[in-house]
Amino acid sequence: MRAVVIGAGPIGCGFAGRLLHRSGYALTLVGRARAATQLARVGRYTVRLTDGCTAREESVDGLSVLDVAQTAEIADAIGAADLVCTAVGPRNLDAVAPLLARGLGQATRPVTVIAFENAEDAGPRLRRLVGRQLGMRRTDRHGFTGAVVGAVFAHRLLAQHPGDDLLLIGEPHSEFAVDAHALRDPLPPVEGMVAVDDFAAFYLRKLYRYSAGHATAAYLGRLKGYRYLHAAVRDGEIRHAVHAAMAEGRAGLAAAYGDRIAGDEAELGAILQRFGNAALGDTVARVGRDVARKLGHRERLVGAARLAERAGVAPTRLAEAAAAALYFGDLDGAAGGAAPPMRRVRPCHPDDVADTLRNVAGLQPGCPLARRIEAAWLRLGAGWEDGNLLLTLDRPLWAWAGAGDHTTLARAS
Amino acid sequence: MLMRRPEPGGHSITLDMVGLLREWGNDVDIIDLDTATDLTAVRPDHDLYVLRSVTEGTLSHAGILDALGATIVNSYPVTRVCCDKVLVTRLLQLADVPVPETFVAQRPGQLEPLLDDGPIVVKPQGGSRGRGVKVVWDADELLDLAAPDGPVLAQRYHERQGRDRKLYCIGGQLFGVKRVWPARTYAEKLGEPFTVSAELRDIADHTAAAIGTDLFGLDVVISGGRPYVVDVNPFPGFKGVPDAALRLADYIHATASATVAPADTGLKEVVS
Repeated sequence: MRAVVIGAGPIGCGFAGRLLHRSGYALTLVGRARAATQLARVGRYTVRLTDGCTAREESVDGLSVLDVAQTAEIADAIGAADLVCTAVGPRNLDAVAPLLARGLGQATRPVTVIAFENAEDAGPRLRRLVGRQLGMRRTDRHGFTGAVVGAVFAHRLLAQHPGDDLLLIGEPHSEFAVDAHALRDPLPPVEGMVAVDDFAAFYLRKLYRYSAGHATAAYLGRLKGYRYLHAAVRDGEIRHAVHAAMAEGRAGLAAAYGDRIAGDEAELGAILQRFGNAALGDTVARVGRDVARKLGHRERLVGAARLAERAGVAPTRLAEAAAAALYFGDLDGAAGGAAPPMRRVRPCHPDDVADTLRNVAGLQPGCPLARRIEAAWLRLGAGWEDGNLLLTLDRPLWAWAGAGDHTTLARAS
Repeated sequence: MLMRRPEPGGHSITLDMVGLLREWGNDVDIIDLDTATDLTAVRPDHDLYVLRSVTEGTLSHAGILDALGATIVNSYPVTRVCCDKVLVTRLLQLADVPVPETFVAQRPGQLEPLLDDGPIVVKPQGGSRGRGVKVVWDADELLDLAAPDGPVLAQRYHERQGRDRKLYCIGGQLFGVKRVWPARTYAEKLGEPFTVSAELRDIADHTAAAIGTDLFGLDVVISGGRPYVVDVNPFPGFKGVPDAALRLADYIHATASATVAPADTGLKEVVS
């Protein structure tokens, strides 16, 4: 069996590549820049799997590595593959599609394409993009699905010395869900892969519980000045808020999809435990970045809050997290560049918040959720100045985060 | 951790911080210098040293480690500067940080003419934790002072208005705590957090730039409506800072991580 992974980042190598290697595939990795060069030189990499208490390492070897510029060789590899995975980020799917189309055009049998892109529509979108190049009839032979991944891979560490392995650090979970309706026979076996009939519900299950909690920890953590996510969730106030936000998300899921999808209280506790995994080295800045996308209408905070409202549950903590996101300090990556820059929002009138929520989150001014978020924004920001950090979520007491960098030491960002 | 071992049963923000760092996977050794140390064995075996308790012993130890290339928080030069009240006060003056009018003398008796303009606060050059600090109102009290080991510092005494302001900087984040002086009870030592004013921010920022660190404590006295910095501490107790142990651990963990393995900057956001 042969597999190609496009994207040599944490998920491509650490998650997909490892499982494919364990499943017996001859693996071709497509990457660029230093990572690809290093992988090509050594022909292997190491994955460290840790739950924060224990750790084990696995070596992924016998690799073929191609630079993204080697388009002919990549197309040949795709054409000969049983399985192709992408892990390039949703914004880069357009760039990957021509490469996929060229390779799939050479394939003599159906190929399964799995998009590990953390986007609900990644599979159908990739199918459309490839179809434009290859024609829909030839494209329909192949399966295109997104994937809901159950593990975080936050770090990829480049080797510091020649001969050392590139190291990926992530959680030990192997399970991932794919869309059963989007696949084509024969379905290639992969360790951890579960084909589900209700893929959209599985996607939202992760988005409105895990991702909602993750984002809540990041945005409140940033507001209170923490660097690491594991530190933020050790703060009692934030821990409570994260749990409550996930519970609100779960309530909405339960009403819409039933308890099988929503899960139970114990699962939320387990997720919270995972956020405290310091071995991942995950930062508040990384988890919280791309604010505009994460405040989207169907996304982890606003989407979860809307679903909770529909279930008759007041999304107090999700709204608070969304309000905290407005203080995060970047609204880069807004769709179409429509969102005003955060600096214009933060010190200004609540009307600016309403505009931002309309532009970024698709919330009509004056709707209950927009009003809830605006109220939280006002409460969290009473007395706020640029550079402040909040001492407590309960009252407007501020420390100052802008004392500059006067240390002589290098420091993690 | 270069530190004195705390009293058993006492509450220690530092030990709480050590507990968190260990929980997060750091191996933390406490070097308390309670036993004789073979000097040839003093070498940088750790990724990061935290100079928590400043004594002549820990300072010498840190000095050796510094000479051998160890990474230390606070750095040896910064800590040395903070321990020399004469030097650090002059650096603060040069950085436009408001300090009381300050004089240095080799003997307490030389300070007598200063009393014509009012009381002074006399401090040993290398004192810490308030040891040897005395408010002197008349010349007789100067005679009662113990002969110092080195120069003495004298600062114009400013009558306190209200509670002192403690400013604590942790990795560039500045926290304010109001505290009565002298604090007698544990609750008084904890004080009360307050929102740091722009004026106090500037003072802390100028101090950080002057001594080259983002981890320190400042004692500020308010008198006549004006703030005066009366002490700088390179690693204070951070009492009264909400979640102080957690914030310190967050900072130290980041610093240690940066010294061990600089991360690839091309991280992918795929899962969250």
